[in-house]
Amino acid sequence: MQMDRRDFLKKSGLGLLAINLNGLSLLMSPSEARAAAVPMKVLTPEEVTTLEAFGEVLLPGAREAGLAHFIDYHLAVEAKDSLLMLRYMDWPAPYAGFYKAGLMGLNAASGKQHKKPFHELNATQSDALVRSMGQGMPEGWEGIPAPLFYFVVRSDAVDVVYGTEEGFEKLGVPYMAHITPPSKW
Amino acid sequence: MSTNRTVDVVIVGAGAAGSLYAARLAKAGKRVVVLEAGPAWKLDDLYSSQIWARRLKWNGPLLMQPPGQSAFSHTQSTGAGFGGAALHHFGAWPRLRPADFRTRSLFGKGLDWPITYNDLRPYYDRIQAEMGIAGDARQEVWRPKGAAYPMPPHRLFKQAKLLARGFSKVGLKTAPLPVIINSTVYKGRAPCLYDGWCEAGCPIGAFANPLVMHLNEARQAGAEFREHCSATRILTDKTGRASGVEYVSQGKKESLDARVVILATSMVQNPRLLLNSASDRHPQGLANSSGLVGAYLTTDAVAIIYGMFDEETENHRGVNAGQLLSRGDHVSKKRPDIFGAYQWQIAPSLKPNDLLGIATSRVDLFGNELHNFMRKATKHLASMAGFAGAVPDRDNRITLAKETDAHGMALARLNYRVADNTRALWNNLLEEGRSVMTAAGAKEVWTGPMAGGHVIGGTIMGADAKASVCDGYGRTHDVPNLVLAGSGLFPAGSGSSPTYTLYAVAERSAEHMIKHWDEYAR
Repeated sequence: MQMDRRDFLKKSGLGLLAINLNGLSLLMSPSEARAAAVPMKVLTPEEVTTLEAFGEVLLPGAREAGLAHFIDYHLAVEAKDSLLMLRYMDWPAPYAGFYKAGLMGLNAASGKQHKKPFHELNATQSDALVRSMGQGMPEGWEGIPAPLFYFVVRSDAVDVVYGTEEGFEKLGVPYMAHITPPSKW
Repeated sequence: MSTNRTVDVVIVGAGAAGSLYAARLAKAGKRVVVLEAGPAWKLDDLYSSQIWARRLKWNGPLLMQPPGQSAFSHTQSTGAGFGGAALHHFGAWPRLRPADFRTRSLFGKGLDWPITYNDLRPYYDRIQAEMGIAGDARQEVWRPKGAAYPMPPHRLFKQAKLLARGFSKVGLKTAPLPVIINSTVYKGRAPCLYDGWCEAGCPIGAFANPLVMHLNEARQAGAEFREHCSATRILTDKTGRASGVEYVSQGKKESLDARVVILATSMVQNPRLLLNSASDRHPQGLANSSGLVGAYLTTDAVAIIYGMFDEETENHRGVNAGQLLSRGDHVSKKRPDIFGAYQWQIAPSLKPNDLLGIATSRVDLFGNELHNFMRKATKHLASMAGFAGAVPDRDNRITLAKETDAHGMALARLNYRVADNTRALWNNLLEEGRSVMTAAGAKEVWTGPMAGGHVIGGTIMGADAKASVCDGYGRTHDVPNLVLAGSGLFPAGSGSSPTYTLYAVAERSAEHMIKHWDEYAR
C-alpha cells in the first residue's frame, strides 16, 4: 500500500496508525495494533508493561484500547507531527524522554514503597501510588514532575477511550462530525 | 543563499492579520508574498476531532518558560499554518470599550492606547458587516456605540438557560455572546450546526475563519502564500530601512526583498524575530530603541467554574466560546481594593477529551470513578470561564534564550509574574462564579486552577517612541517601512477577547498604508 506523507499524516491524525510490517504498510487503530502485537518502535517491552498497567489504573479499558501503541506511534513520528497532549504542556521535544523518565519514576517509587515494579502491585497499592502522583512527588519518585506525568498519561488514556466516535457512543452523546473520521479507533 | 526578486510587501505569518493585510494590499494592486512557517491547511483538512485539532496549533520552536510557572500554553494559544490561531480560536467577538483604551488616564493603572474607541469604531463596524457577527446589541448593556450585529443571536441550549438563571439571581446581567459564527446564512455561508467542533476548525464556512475570508480573497487578488517558510531575520539596508526577510525553506536559507515588511506572526514570535534581527546599526534588536521589544506581554488569568446539575445540560450542543456573556467594569464598589475588568464566557459546548474537555474538569479522578464521572458529566455538567484582565507589567516580557532552534536561531524566553492584584481579581471571579453556579441550582460546584488566555502585548503601540515599539498603525517608530500586526500591539486588553479588535486595528492600519503608500515604500 503506497501512501504519500500527507495522506499518511491525515490517517494517523484520525487515530489510525500506519504500521510497516515486512515492508507492507497497513493502517490500524491502536486497539487493532495491540491485538496484532505490532512491535513497538520507541518503547521497550518493560516500558510497555509499566505503561499499560499505569493506563489501566488511570482508566480501565485503556490497555485494550491501545494506549501503548497510540503513545509509541506518536513518539516515533517527528515532534511537530505528534498529536499527544504533551504538546500543550510546552515540553521540549523529543517527547520519548518524558515518557521513559516518567515510567522509570513510577517504577522507582513502586520499588521504594513496595519492593516491586509497578505492574506487580495489587489494586490497593497501585491505586494509592497513582493517587499520590496527582498530589506531588511520591516517596521514591525520581525525575520529571509526577503530577505532570499523571496528567499527561491520564489525558492520553482519555483520548484513546473517549476521544473517538466509539468513545462518544459509550457516553451516549452524538459525535456530530462535520468531516467524519474514516475509521474508529 | 538564493534571492527572490523584490516584491512590494512581504508579510510574515498567514493568520488573521497577515491574511487581512494580504487581501487589502493585493486588491490595491500591490505584489504581495506571505511567508508562513506552517502548512497550507485547506478546509477539508479540518477533521472533527479534538486530537486532530492539535495539528492546527503552534508546532515550531518552543517558548521557554520557567518550569511550573507557565503563564499560558504557547502551543495551544497560537497557530501553525494557513489561518494561524484564527483557524482554531473560539470566536468570541466583543468590542473593547472606551475605558479599555484609557485606563492610565481614567484610573492611573496600566497604559493608554494611542488611539481611542472612536478611532476604531468605524473599523469594528466595517469588519462586522464584512465577516458577520451573531449577537444582540440591545441586551449587551456594556456594549459601546456602534452598528447593531448583522445576524440575530444564536439559540440557547439548556446549559445556558440554567446559568442565565444563576446570573440573574445574583443580580448580574447576561447577553448572548457575540460570536464570529453564523446564526443564519450570511453572504452565502452556512449557519452553525451547534456540534461544538470549533477548535478543530470549521470546514463548513459558518465560522468566518481566514480560509473562507481574507486568505481566500488575497489569493484571488494575486497574493502568493508560501507554506513551510520560517522567517529568521528582518534584513535592513545601509539607511536602516527594512529591505526584506531572510527565511528557511526546506532546510535552505532564502531571502526575499521587499519595499515594505509586515510582521504578523504571534505575540511571541514577532518580538523573537525583531530581537534576532540585531545588527551593528540595531545592536539591541530591530525597532528596539525604546528597549521595549518583548515587554508588556499580558495574559488574562482565567477562572473556570464547574457545576453538576440534576437537570440535563445539553453540554454537547452549542459553540466552544460559550452561549452567553457577562462583563465587569474596571472598578466596582463591591471590590474597592481590586482593579480590573473581566468577562464571563458562559455555557461552552464540551467534548469528553482534551485540555478543556470534560475529563480535565476533574483531574483528581481516575479509575472507575473517572468512568462514572464521565457518564454523568456528559449529561449534567455546566461550566463558565471568567477572564480577569491583568494590568500590563513592563517586566513581563519576551527575551532571547541561550538555547537555539534547528536553524540556530535563539528561542524566545518568557519571564512572567501574575501580579497580586490580578490574583485578587481572579479570586474574586472564583467567588462570583461559585455564587452564580450555586444560585443556578448546581448540586456540586468546583473550580479549576488558574489558566492563561487572551495573550497580548510584547510589541506595544504608543504615542511616545521612547515608551512603545510602534504607532497606532503598527508602524515601528524606528523603521518606517516595518509594520507590526496582531494582538502583540495591544498596550492593554482589559479581560476581553482580543481577535475582533485585532481585525479592527489591522483593517485601520491596512487602509492607512494603502492611502499613504509612498510614505511607507519610499
